[in-house]
Amino acid sequence: MKIDDQKIRNIGISAHIDSGKTTLTERILYYTKRIHAIHDVKGKDGVGATMDSMELEKERGITIASAATYCEWKGHEVNIIDTPGHVDFTIEVERSLRVLDGAILVLCAVGGVQSQSITVDRQMKRYKVPCIAFINKCDRSGANPFRVISQLKAKLGHNAVAMQIPIGLENDVQGVVDLVGMKAIYFDGDNGEMVREAEIPANILEEAKAKREELIDAASLFSDELTEAILNESAISTAMIYAALRKGTLQREITPVYMGSAYKNKGVQPMLDGVTYLLPCPSEIQNEAIDMDKNEEKVVLSNDTEKPIVALVFKLEDGQYGQLTYIRVYQGTLEKGSTIVNVRTGKKVKVGRLVRMHADQMEDVEFLRAGYIGALFGIECSSGDTFTSPDVNLTMISMYVPKPVISLAIVPKDNKSQVAMAKALNRFAKEDPTFKTFVDHETGDTIIEGMGELHLDIYVERMRREYGADVSTGNPRVAYRETITQRADFNYTHKKQTGGAGQFGRVAGYLEPMTDAEFIFENKIFGGAIPTQYIAACEKGFKQSMAKGPKLEFPVTGVKVVINDGASHAVDSSDMAFQAAARGAFKEAYLRAKPVIHEPIMKVVVETPAEFQGSVMGLLNQRRGMIIGSQDEDVMCVIEAQVPLAEMFGFSTILRSATQGKAQFTMEFALYRQVPQSIGEKIALEVAQNKKSAA
Amino acid sequence: MFPIGVALKREKNVIHLTYKDIMMIKKEMLYRNPLINLGYANEDILPAGGFGAVLAYAGVGKTALLVQLALNMMLREHSVLHVSLHDAVSKVDLWYQEIFHDIAEKFGIPEVQEYWDKIQPYRFIMTFKVEGFSAPKLEERMTDLMEQNIFKPIMVIIDGYKFDEAGRGQLVQLKELAKKYSMGLWFTVHTHRHETPQENGLPLSFLHVADLFDAIVQLATKGDEVYIKSLKGGSADRSPKDLLLDPATMLIKDNQ
Repeated sequence: MKIDDQKIRNIGISAHIDSGKTTLTERILYYTKRIHAIHDVKGKDGVGATMDSMELEKERGITIASAATYCEWKGHEVNIIDTPGHVDFTIEVERSLRVLDGAILVLCAVGGVQSQSITVDRQMKRYKVPCIAFINKCDRSGANPFRVISQLKAKLGHNAVAMQIPIGLENDVQGVVDLVGMKAIYFDGDNGEMVREAEIPANILEEAKAKREELIDAASLFSDELTEAILNESAISTAMIYAALRKGTLQREITPVYMGSAYKNKGVQPMLDGVTYLLPCPSEIQNEAIDMDKNEEKVVLSNDTEKPIVALVFKLEDGQYGQLTYIRVYQGTLEKGSTIVNVRTGKKVKVGRLVRMHADQMEDVEFLRAGYIGALFGIECSSGDTFTSPDVNLTMISMYVPKPVISLAIVPKDNKSQVAMAKALNRFAKEDPTFKTFVDHETGDTIIEGMGELHLDIYVERMRREYGADVSTGNPRVAYRETITQRADFNYTHKKQTGGAGQFGRVAGYLEPMTDAEFIFENKIFGGAIPTQYIAACEKGFKQSMAKGPKLEFPVTGVKVVINDGASHAVDSSDMAFQAAARGAFKEAYLRAKPVIHEPIMKVVVETPAEFQGSVMGLLNQRRGMIIGSQDEDVMCVIEAQVPLAEMFGFSTILRSATQGKAQFTMEFALYRQVPQSIGEKIALEVAQNKKSAA
Repeated sequence: MFPIGVALKREKNVIHLTYKDIMMIKKEMLYRNPLINLGYANEDILPAGGFGAVLAYAGVGKTALLVQLALNMMLREHSVLHVSLHDAVSKVDLWYQEIFHDIAEKFGIPEVQEYWDKIQPYRFIMTFKVEGFSAPKLEERMTDLMEQNIFKPIMVIIDGYKFDEAGRGQLVQLKELAKKYSMGLWFTVHTHRHETPQENGLPLSFLHVADLFDAIVQLATKGDEVYIKSLKGGSADRSPKDLLLDPATMLIKDNQ
């Protein structure tokens, strides 16, 4: 079965929070006739946008989990993943980008390139996702799409080029001029569904000509044919321009920019045309997998539907009918009733129900071909798992997953809540690799870990609403770490003789600091001072000690352990004895190696009206923040700082009250840095107190 | 001078941050500082309230040279305000990190991040749009910082100032600002190939304000190499005519 995949587009819609991407998706679904009425985010009709399927998302007006949907536009099948805009949910964005072939970068015509756009753009670069841009909200006062284009160039380094110019801006937004076809496009009907082409208004004709010139100039870099046509002054066809632009877009060398206002129903359809003309089909993107049978050799997957199946699970959702597994097929055809293997667990599963998703409604299908995105029912797996045909052992390259930086203790109110909480935590941990949960054996508390305060807040809320688990939360705790700063020797003997078989083991060597790995164990013993069979036990003993530092019981990182001497006893030595000796040795040397505490430092970006710049800087400074710089952008100002996570709790409330609610901020993990001595002492005191109260 | 790359040898991956290292990097940077070698009076080059300019064609390394000067100040625990009129904060930050890492690497300092964390608080980046920049606006922003004791600069870099478009008036205002807060101000001056320099080596578009400047240096390329020479303020008897620079670090090359 050879199928023309030229007409498939797997795209994502990525942007800064509140730049209107959910509204845009809603319009796309409406114009492609997937939905028959438009509901706005935070809409007065109480229905909410179709893509924001979770109750909580509707209430907060933000997109949390990316819902997948597909639609058809002019003979093309377009799979859309709506992605969250808040940094705390970046893992969702990363996962979506992993399975996408192209993306629409949505920007606000007033706000322009904001901090989150920069993060999303970085992620797109990491996964080499070609993109087009859509400048939304041209109806807002202060809208200036050309300023946004210059920001795309200056701030993100995109070779951004306008595909259109607006006909009217702010209150007067009427339509756009298509610079390729050189015609004006208007959007008639109650919901802008009737696209009408007309002559370009005379007052903007000159501007349109000049901008078209710029567009053709930029495109000519990617096509000899077009360059020749320009030089010979012969006719330039639209096909020629699109072919050149498409080539540049696929190489990520050019970013075509569309514009309009999704809310006012302007400019969405031409952008959809742009998706079909300029973004790649699945076979134009090279996807790689790792062959587990051939020493993890990289294998290029082909989009052939006849080849063995390779498919990646990129999202799990708990629906009313059980677990829904979102999957992208990279190779082969996934058919109902066929058998596939989960490469991670080695378990074989039979494909039951196969569906294609449309937000929270679904449509049954018989098969999913290479390049398609769909969902499976009733399959036990985790996010990021690879499914293949039984005859191959390929796994998709694992996704980059950042480590959690914040934790929170949660306590269920009663038994019923306890059961519901366990169920919810199990589900969340499977859905989101940046969300972790475990039980603290000392306090008996259930701890959840994540990427930020809001990240954990949302999960606690979901637990309450979706699972009915009534839980109370403790204070958020920062994931501190310990490390050593200088070399220290050890020579420790573990000896126990209390009747029966004794325990004996001696280890000697040194600890030293290290920056680019968490733990390295090196055996420099010659002549069998410690018999080879006990070396692994020594390593295990040291590793166990790393889990909880002797100083303040935070995890220890950045330590190299070298053993160079030791002693054993023919009868009394054992694995247990050497493990205990290693633990003792670690403890002995650790405090002499000048241990210090490291804390997570967040990159905080605040966007505020210029008049509040001073007070925002003051707020950041009070929080031990180091301000990297400030960027003046007309009336707004962007302040970039590095602030310890421990100081950021409740910052959003304080920022709101200091700026009359006009400033907003984003935050993401940047690095670990040593805490100042005074703070270190404070932390030590707190730890001691906690220990006391736990006892 | 220490030949490059013979700093204390260390085992791979091991931190041994010593006082000696910091002293060495300071010493090296001072020793290889092109401006000191051109005969400018002291380490700060500019007097309080003074103006300095780096002239060059596009892409030769004006910003890099000033970043190197700024790093020199930061290592001596002097605060530097970097005002960019064309780049984003993150890009300016990257300039500093790259040049600092290059310098540290050349001198064989293995643990650069640790140093970087130490000196970074001595730098503050501000960016403005060219058309939105003015002396009163800069003063307003600086007052925000100084009043709250967040940052008080000793040296200010203004990168991307349009000398051919701005009149003398604004520079005079900036000079007053420099005097008021006892700061030295460094500017980048973008010169053009089509502009023939005057007898003193200065471009015509700069002449109307040249008298406000205490130090003027020029960067030029010959093939792949970058040279620096003093046009104003350097001591002619102490200095060679021009000096060859390492384009990565903007410090004097080893083989001179």
